[in-house]
Amino acid sequence: MTRWMRTETFAAWAFMAPGLLIVAVFVLWPILYGIPLSLTDYSVIGETHYVGFENYVTAMHDRSFLTSLWNSLVYVLIVPCIQIISILMAILVNTRLPLIKAFRAAYYVPVVTSMVAVALMWSWLFSSNGVVNYILMQLGVIQEQVGWLSTSSTALYALMFITLWKGLGYYMVLYLAGLQSIPSELYEAAMIDGANRGQMIWRITIPLLRPHILFCTLISLMGAIRVFDEMFVLTKGGPGNATLTSSLYIYQKGLEQFNFGYASALGLIVSVIIGALSIVVFRLNRKGGVQTYS
Amino acid sequence: MNKAMEHSREHTLSSAATLRIVKKVIRYTLIYALLILIALLMTGPFLWLLSVSLMPGRNVFSNPPAILPTFIDFANYAQVWNYMNFPRYIMNTVMITAMGVVANIILSCMTAYPLALFRFKGRDTVFAILIATMIIPSATAMIVHYLTIQWLHLGNTYLGVVLPAAVSVFNIFLMRQTFLSIPSEIRDSGKMDGASELRIWWQLVLPLVKPGIAVILLLEVMAFWNNFLWPIVVLDDPEKYPLAAALTYLNGQFSYNFGWIAAGTIISVIPIIVVFLFTQRYYMEGLAGAVKG
Repeated sequence: MTRWMRTETFAAWAFMAPGLLIVAVFVLWPILYGIPLSLTDYSVIGETHYVGFENYVTAMHDRSFLTSLWNSLVYVLIVPCIQIISILMAILVNTRLPLIKAFRAAYYVPVVTSMVAVALMWSWLFSSNGVVNYILMQLGVIQEQVGWLSTSSTALYALMFITLWKGLGYYMVLYLAGLQSIPSELYEAAMIDGANRGQMIWRITIPLLRPHILFCTLISLMGAIRVFDEMFVLTKGGPGNATLTSSLYIYQKGLEQFNFGYASALGLIVSVIIGALSIVVFRLNRKGGVQTYS
Repeated sequence: MNKAMEHSREHTLSSAATLRIVKKVIRYTLIYALLILIALLMTGPFLWLLSVSLMPGRNVFSNPPAILPTFIDFANYAQVWNYMNFPRYIMNTVMITAMGVVANIILSCMTAYPLALFRFKGRDTVFAILIATMIIPSATAMIVHYLTIQWLHLGNTYLGVVLPAAVSVFNIFLMRQTFLSIPSEIRDSGKMDGASELRIWWQLVLPLVKPGIAVILLLEVMAFWNNFLWPIVVLDDPEKYPLAAALTYLNGQFSYNFGWIAAGTIISVIPIIVVFLFTQRYYMEGLAGAVKG
């Protein structure tokens, strides 16, 4: 054993080598390799040529792609809904009432089940003579049956509902952790000052949850733009292109039509959009939509 | 007069107390009503699916919907179990999940350990690159993964299924956060006794980060158990599919046989729900702790 091999630097790299190799090949390489790949017409058949920015020009005129981008952006509407509902749920379960742990577990069940199972289930619930229509008609919300997943105007929103429903428990747990880290003295002090429940939530809870809100917003944002499983199992992008999202379109171009070059170009465009939106979220969070007195 | 005053004071006191109790009862009733309503919304669909699977011949679309079964018959389960070769798919899923979970635990513990506790040149660079990969996610990763797996001749193998997800940057961060809480004296004491770096890691440090390992274990069990898309892409042979992938196949074949699909779905969902219910305490606490860091 040489002296160098006994140093901490050597040991450090030896520990990290296997993990970093995997990260390099399966995380870093796809990001880097996507760039040159997007400048070619690489596919399984025929020779590969350098085509410059042709793929990007094609993308800008590809109506299906533009529709898919729009649908992905519409999907982002679930991000604020997720935060609001899961924060309210976290506040509701942040007590020591009997059975509260059973309720928390029940809310988490959709999170642990596979999207395939969830999607199959909801495809029946949402069908025109399914349970959702039955309940809504009993309540008098709708007058006649709606094919939620087979109607262009509702399909995307029905899928958004499924995503929301499946994710709420996960975000609830994250926010619950945030709530439990807030010292109770703050609420006691506010109570003495005569603050009501709403004021306490708005002036204490929300400002102190901000790191959690940032984290949850970012991961749900990335999840929303890259949403795939729901439409892959349920609608394949239909009816028409009503539920075609960018991830699904990239998958179809790349792994169904084996048009790797074009799919890479589309992927890079989407990555840039995700990056830009993440920066916007960071900025908004720093400026703060909510006032704090720290 | 004195007595009368006392009496009236007592009376107002007791009525105030009653009012408080009534208010409390109303409050708790409302809270529990809300809790039950949400629970019904979150688990009702599963209960309904269970009912459908247990009542062969009953129409899925019968109105009013049956949340609780009116009779119980396991015919759907018996038939779909015979048709689908479930033991095989369960074995496949267990294999893939075990490989993926072990790889993730070992690799993230190894990679995160020096990042948290060693001083060496390049540490900050490695860390910065890892953060960057999380900010710029590749939307086309699956395509490049597919090419890489083909190039490595790992198509149609479980290694090919597991390798791209053998370690995630998220898990590395999570373990780094856990390792950071370990005092440096632990490593120093091991060195003083002349233990090798590998032994210090294995015998002294790893036992202290069990909560972090538990979180990765549970997160990855769920991720690998439920994964269906990548196995479909990599595996040419449907016999090698894990449960979730086989389920999409079943749905394609028998989209009209609701009872079978419901039974198959319940079979695939039950193991993961049972695992979750038994480990939820560690899971919820661990997940909460991991994000705090």
